[in-house]
Amino acid sequence: MTKPRADEPANLILAVAQRGDRDAYALLFEHFAPRVKSYMLRLGAPPEAAEELSQEALLTVWRKAALFDPSRAGASTWIFAIARNLRIDAIRRQRRPRIEDDPTDEPPAEPAADAVVAAAERDARLKTAMAALPRDQAEVVRQSFFQDKAHSEIAKDLNLPLGTVKSRLRLALARLRGLVGDLA
Amino acid sequence: MNKTMSINHHPSDALLIDYAAGSLGAARALVIAVHVHACATCQASVAAAEAVGGALLEDLSGAPMSPDALDRALARLEQPGSEPAPPARTQAPHPPAQPHDWIRVPAEVAEAAGRKRWVAPGVWVAPIDTGTPGGSLSYLLRVGQGMRMPQHTHSGSELTLVLKGAFLDGDDRYGPGDVSEVDDEVEHSPAILAGEECVCLVACDNRLIVRDWLGRLVQSYAGI
Repeated sequence: MTKPRADEPANLILAVAQRGDRDAYALLFEHFAPRVKSYMLRLGAPPEAAEELSQEALLTVWRKAALFDPSRAGASTWIFAIARNLRIDAIRRQRRPRIEDDPTDEPPAEPAADAVVAAAERDARLKTAMAALPRDQAEVVRQSFFQDKAHSEIAKDLNLPLGTVKSRLRLALARLRGLVGDLA
Repeated sequence: MNKTMSINHHPSDALLIDYAAGSLGAARALVIAVHVHACATCQASVAAAEAVGGALLEDLSGAPMSPDALDRALARLEQPGSEPAPPARTQAPHPPAQPHDWIRVPAEVAEAAGRKRWVAPGVWVAPIDTGTPGGSLSYLLRVGQGMRMPQHTHSGSELTLVLKGAFLDGDDRYGPGDVSEVDDEVEHSPAILAGEECVCLVACDNRLIVRDWLGRLVQSYAGI
């Protein structure tokens, strides 16, 4: 097993959560803010709005760091979900309906140091698997995330039958699903 | 989660990926959210798709932020309202009341039932405001035991999620947590099983094309 690095993003988020570490936060900001801005730009946000949404996303990282659970999602996955949700809320005129957690559910365990290592290894496996996806599958997956379009519109754009797009997405997800299961 | 629930009809992987990517309309995203909350299998699929989103984010070449961006961010940490949120599970000590015999839904959905309109004996509809007027439509539909749903087809696609009870569509039985995904090829009139009313959360892209008087009443009261 590789040793967890202090500048591993998951460890930076944990440092923010555990002791409000502003140096760790600055490193997270420098790494993720430009990427989140780029994500917003790709999905059609004007530059000023993309910058502001990125600021909002990273502020949310600060505020919600204690909710980050590396055994469930890697750092970039967690920040992706924050950015995606902010974007949806910015488009809609009200917040998304959310299902309140059942208070009888088990609370998450304290994140252990080896959970960070396991999460980093899982993310590396996922990255390798994504790089190995057939080009046509990778393309529809990519378009699903970087075009503000449902798969039916992507099919139209690519001039493909809807069934072909759906089966490519199904094959891609089937390959990746086994790699990101719960580490607990 | 109801551990005894057995879910047999899941949304397609394409829908789950669109959901994880944030590209579904509000009404369909709501149906998928409620299903995923109840379904461990689809939770794993959405987690995988979100991990793909994370990997794609990591791979993006960053767009330069303005020169004072980090200073602004650090200054914002000191402002009121930027306090860290408490750890998980302590935020909502009093979750809103849920209809006890439905699968778990967001408060907005449970509250919509208070605005139900009876449109025929045994049938009520309750529109849900998803915050996107003119977009896809979201509503609750309740049909009494042993009745049929209004016969209809669609000009777009329709997602129906069973919250309570069960219906038969052809040979397929849909119970709590099951999702039915139909497109404009289908003309159907699902039958509610005897013994219990059926309450569904429906998302519809476009107007229903209804074939009978009951359907027209549902349509006029649901605002669809």
